[in-house]
Amino acid sequence: MLKGHLDAIVLAALEGGPAHGYAIIEAIKRRSGSTFDLPEGTVYPALHRLEQAGLLASTWMTPPSGRKRRVYSLTRSGTAALADRRRAWSRFSQAVETLLKGGHTWPA
Amino acid sequence: MAGLIDDYVARLRRDLDFDPSLAGRMADEVESHLWEAAEADPAWPLPEAQRRAVERFGLAREFAGQFAVDAVNRQAKRTWGALLATLVVTFIAMRLRVIWLGEVGDTLSTLAPLIDRYAFVAAITLGTIGWLAFRCSVVTLALCLSALAASIVAGIVRADLFVEGAPLHVLLAAAGEIALIGLLSFHVVSLGRRLRRTASLRRIS
Repeated sequence: MLKGHLDAIVLAALEGGPAHGYAIIEAIKRRSGSTFDLPEGTVYPALHRLEQAGLLASTWMTPPSGRKRRVYSLTRSGTAALADRRRAWSRFSQAVETLLKGGHTWPA
Repeated sequence: MAGLIDDYVARLRRDLDFDPSLAGRMADEVESHLWEAAEADPAWPLPEAQRRAVERFGLAREFAGQFAVDAVNRQAKRTWGALLATLVVTFIAMRLRVIWLGEVGDTLSTLAPLIDRYAFVAAITLGTIGWLAFRCSVVTLALCLSALAASIVAGIVRADLFVEGAPLHVLLAAAGEIALIGLLSFHVVSLGRRLRRTASLRRIS
């Protein structure tokens, strides 16, 4: 189920600003309260796919204290796609919640 | 043990060899990730930190397999685009040859014009079948490519371009055909390589 929403999760993780792959994985883990402890190798294909689709842009950066990293950021299309996916998720989750709440009876 | 991450990255580079530019990019990116993960591990600088970082990342083959299908789809799009361009240019070049030959008279054999025409029709038919039914079939593409090459060779032989001294626009169109056939051949070979690699990654992972 998570796989189908991975692109939206990655886009949301980058909403706060540019980040590299490792930081994105850590942010997803932290913000989901470790519920989404993704296999780390699954995030890079998603990043690459989103970049190919023009939703992310990336560039190599070397922080003063560390190792060279590829840093990703949302493009204008990526921001719009994230808003679309949020709306779609909101509709979907509301519908599922209503169905799972139960208590409905068939009309006699 | 000191080279565990290096070994993993080398393996990843091999498993992504169906797309050399992707292999270079991902190998650098994954290497950076693995060192950062190892350095953040409580066991760092012990070799155990590297082992855990690699383990959390997952198998190199599985990682490469996630890219392989996308690579095939991208290459298939490029190949079909090249095929379409080749068909259009071949058709234009064929018409230019026919118009020019109509002016100077066709003194060549009767076999070449038939090959030119029917090989082109066969290429269009095979290309259409391939597009509709087998988007990634190298066999259909290779047959289509052979038919186009036959059409071009027959057309050039028929026009006797280099002996008769054909006008520049006829020669340029023929040169365009030959260049596009070269490009198309390159794309077909690349697609075949990616398909074989994807199949092997899927078999093993």
